Amino acid sequence: MSTAYSKPAVWMKMTSLALAVTLVLVGCSGGAGKSSATNGGSAAGAAPSTAAEQSSTPVAGGELSYALATSPDQLDPHRSGLAVAVRVIRTLYDTLVVQLPGGEIKPWLATEWSISEDGKSYTFKLRQDVKFQDGTPFNAEAVKYSFDRIIDPETKAANALALVRPYESSEVIDEYTVKLNLSEPSQAFLGNVSQALLSIVSPTAAKKDGDQFTKHPIGTGPFKFVKWDENSEIVVEKNPDYNWAPETVSQQGAPNLDKIIFKIVPEEATRIGSVQSGQVLAAETVPPQNILSLKNDANSQLYQANTVGLPYTLFINHSKAPWNELKARQALQLGINVEAIVKTLYLGTYEQAWSPLSPGIFGYDASLEGGVKPDIEKAKQLLDELGWKAGADGIREKDGKKLTLHYVDGSPNREKRNDIAAIVQQQLKPLGIQVDVEITKDVATVVYANNNYDLYGNSQVNSDPNALYSIYHTTAPGARQNLPNLSDPELDKLLEDGATQQDQTKREAIYKEAQQLIIKKAVIIPIYVFPYTVAASKKVQGLAFDSLGYPIFNDVYIAE
Amino acid sequence: MLKAVSVRLYTSLLVLVGTMVLVFCIVNVLPGDPALLILDPSSATPEMIANLREQLGLNQPFYERFGEYFLHVLQGDFGKSIVNSEPVLPKIVEHFPATLALTALSSLIAVVIGVTLGVLSAIHRNRWIDIVARMVGLFGISMPTFWSGILLILIFSVQLGWFPAMGSDGFSTLVLPAITLGFVGSGFIVRMVRNSMLEVINEPFIVTLRAKGLPGRFIMYKHALRNALIPALTMVGVIIGDLMAGTVVIETVFSRQGIGRIIADAIMAKDLPVVQGVIFFSAIVYIVVNLLVDISYTLIDPRVRRTG
Amino acid sequence: MKQAVIGKQVWQGSRAEGAAKIRKLKRLAPADLLLYAAAVIVLFIISCALFPSLIAPYSPTLMNTDQIMQPPSLQHVFGTDYFGRDVFSVVVHGSRDSLLIGFVSVLVGCVTGGAIGAVAGYIGGVVDAVFMRLIDVLMTIPGVLLALAIAAALGPSLMNVVLAVAAASIPGYARVMRGQIMSIKGRPFITASRSIGTSSLSIFVRHVLPNSLSPMFVMAAIGIGTAILTGAGLNFLGLGTIKEIPDWGALLSQGRGYLTVAWWICTFPGLAITLFVLSINILGDKVRDQLDPKQSRA
Repeated sequence: MSTAYSKPAVWMKMTSLALAVTLVLVGCSGGAGKSSATNGGSAAGAAPSTAAEQSSTPVAGGELSYALATSPDQLDPHRSGLAVAVRVIRTLYDTLVVQLPGGEIKPWLATEWSISEDGKSYTFKLRQDVKFQDGTPFNAEAVKYSFDRIIDPETKAANALALVRPYESSEVIDEYTVKLNLSEPSQAFLGNVSQALLSIVSPTAAKKDGDQFTKHPIGTGPFKFVKWDENSEIVVEKNPDYNWAPETVSQQGAPNLDKIIFKIVPEEATRIGSVQSGQVLAAETVPPQNILSLKNDANSQLYQANTVGLPYTLFINHSKAPWNELKARQALQLGINVEAIVKTLYLGTYEQAWSPLSPGIFGYDASLEGGVKPDIEKAKQLLDELGWKAGADGIREKDGKKLTLHYVDGSPNREKRNDIAAIVQQQLKPLGIQVDVEITKDVATVVYANNNYDLYGNSQVNSDPNALYSIYHTTAPGARQNLPNLSDPELDKLLEDGATQQDQTKREAIYKEAQQLIIKKAVIIPIYVFPYTVAASKKVQGLAFDSLGYPIFNDVYIAE
Repeated sequence: MLKAVSVRLYTSLLVLVGTMVLVFCIVNVLPGDPALLILDPSSATPEMIANLREQLGLNQPFYERFGEYFLHVLQGDFGKSIVNSEPVLPKIVEHFPATLALTALSSLIAVVIGVTLGVLSAIHRNRWIDIVARMVGLFGISMPTFWSGILLILIFSVQLGWFPAMGSDGFSTLVLPAITLGFVGSGFIVRMVRNSMLEVINEPFIVTLRAKGLPGRFIMYKHALRNALIPALTMVGVIIGDLMAGTVVIETVFSRQGIGRIIADAIMAKDLPVVQGVIFFSAIVYIVVNLLVDISYTLIDPRVRRTG
Repeated sequence: MKQAVIGKQVWQGSRAEGAAKIRKLKRLAPADLLLYAAAVIVLFIISCALFPSLIAPYSPTLMNTDQIMQPPSLQHVFGTDYFGRDVFSVVVHGSRDSLLIGFVSVLVGCVTGGAIGAVAGYIGGVVDAVFMRLIDVLMTIPGVLLALAIAAALGPSLMNVVLAVAAASIPGYARVMRGQIMSIKGRPFITASRSIGTSSLSIFVRHVLPNSLSPMFVMAAIGIGTAILTGAGLNFLGLGTIKEIPDWGALLSQGRGYLTVAWWICTFPGLAITLFVLSINILGDKVRDQLDPKQSRA
């Protein structure tokens, strides 16, 4: 989905931006996606990749069992931080606006809105026929309450707090009109308001339950919360009063399904086994090797939606010698054969990444594709030029020091990232680089607190190229360093311009230049774009994905 | 006998306190700063971290923290989870029945398989039946459970469709995990029962019975088996802890609820109060089960009654 | 848990039973066969660990990415894995770390536990009471949980897994050792040497200790298997080590996701673990039977 917001771009202050883009902090699971089954497609609602004949008409009733790969942390949208939680949260709550694939913002709980001259206040007209699942009426007060709740420190909001910035206060104009005031203009604000973490919660329920609201979540969504058995399942049932679906789903009223049972099944083999044995009707996050076999399975179908934002990228730590030298980094860039990694581990089911941004995001530079080709001889020559000479054991040395690369990755082995480290270790051996792989549960300490890595990989879900700012822009004095420990005035200038540039054509050009610069200076090694995958029985029809790749269940029905 | 039981109770209490100290020590050397886990490392300021450390009591000296913990535990308060501030004990109590059901059925399966194979192998000592029975038992203790568990899922859920692959609702979801775990336990019982049967067979009273002309099979089942049950029972006491620990892996493989799953998650999340609570709770269960086993000896074996 | 089995055993004199002896000789064949098979497997695996390069046809780190997930063939007897490595070569090289986990953790556990048990048993009195209560405390925490907590506390590395597994096995060894020492302490020949004025220490070193060691050896042999399995379990839970040449537990754990697609990737490491543990148990059982005069009078 390309994320040029339809509203004119507005000037944005750097600091707020830096905070805003930490929204799905590094280490997030890849939840956002391009809602398309085929790469590069643009339609909302992914079609199953198997050519299943889907001519049946929707049937009301039935239960969908849907196996999740991990347990949600919270069902309170304002306090959650995990993509897996958003998959459930989306069924329980609605947002003021909805984002179409392509970035356009459309009405949902708000019917229309206007933005003030200075870009610092947004006035929303609200639907008048909406009520929360506990009977509380939906109105301007409820919207004010929800937004104020996010910035209230008592709430301990996590990612929602980053998304809502620079929100400051709300004014209730009348029963169904509300004005949100920002401390400074923000181009990303309206898009963020469409995100599930900024959902509107029932003020009565949230006030009553406080900390425990997450155990009894109440929203205006198409499904009502029934129960949450920890480590086992979360059950939601149809909200029969629902009649305010956005235009992204075909069914305006209540959903077809009576119930959705989200089963929590962390073990991969068990999750896939449970969908193959028919114990559940659908299961998310299918490993590549199973994607291939499920595609040939007569009883199953496969949904796939590419994520948008920053692809999985290896960041080279510029504060560690010799990787502060361009030639050393270029040697890594030429020595690591990304194509072989992606082909071997993901068996053609993941796309190779070429840029610091993923395809589909605004400003993505497709010309980078196929640009960097592995060249071991050239890489060796670069290391020679730096004075690193092969030692007795084949490892290069300089001034009595061995050429080592400290590669840090997190545990457990999500998306086979540990295996990438294993391959890189072997690929760099012929170059005379000794790769020390450290797999740790405690990335927070090793990487973020101690800055103890030469190479570390991560991805980020985001809908705007502004995401580059928090990763690559020089950090403020005293703040934690950005991942590559980079401070490059040329790049800083581009990222600042990109944030403030209102002309979309110029903005696009700026971001293309920034991407090229990052690759040219060998700051990173982009690896792959993560697709969100769902394996489902052929009986499951109508599953769609929103602009960020989260599943939408409104139109789902079970065909017999 | 009453006196013996009360002495056992008293030492059990001592052991329990010791366990608490030990668990507290191990858990509190977990690396990494719990405060850093709760806060977002990319945006937390040093003051925020310091405040949270203070709030969590991480700045107090070790013995003070332990003393506080000890007093709270005496009042039935195991503390609150760092991750979601839920109280630990109610959470354990809520999830324990699922683990208990799994452990109990596994023990039953272990005893049934173990005693059957053990008796068979003792009676047919050094013949093929003996070897096969012992091999089956040994296979149980030689296979990593996550592997045998996944194999069972693939065979009995995906291929045959006989049992559900996962979940913790109803008896049918209990079958595969209990077999996986019970198989491990049976390996130990086979060995135990076989050895004690062989010992008993050579006891004077059996030899006498045999000399009196009672049929061999009859003697075996009536007298020898009865005497072999005691070691099997002892083994249940010994392996119950291992079966409970085995649920850490099994509950993850079969996506079951239970305290094994809770501790696995808690260790990953460095949720110290939860890790502490679960280990301590399982120690209590272990002590209670062994107390019961000790007491039940006296019911089965008159000799123990006299000497105990 | 096996500890308890051995600890229960009592040493008693043997009685003659000629007829049974002859019967038994005829029946020994299948059991012996098994014994030989077990011995061959254990010897082969130990030689794999000692001289992996002589046995493995390929380098264990050679990733032939054009040949991933090839089923077993003449060229690759165990097939190739998802990196394109030769599974047989990886399993052969992986035996080194697996056996290291097994042997070193048993050594550490056995020596520590044995020392505690010996001191407690020989000195007796308050020392015994205190040591045994400590052991009781350790016993209440199931081995795997203890290993889990320690591995989590120390972080994933081969040595930490070894330490975790060793610590978990200490109470078992201590109990058995203590039981042995106590039973030997009261035997007539000890009383005899005491009466002729031999020093306490010298009795301990010359008579008590040597006579107590054999059940410890059996238990240690079987403990090697338990240690390898515990290590594999830690790997499954994400607390194992990830090295350039993974041990069997890591191979099995990492390959389990491929079971339906390429069964050979995790089946062969799994079989290696199972066969090794099984064989060592068969040998251990046999040795124990031999040591127990009551049960093997052949």
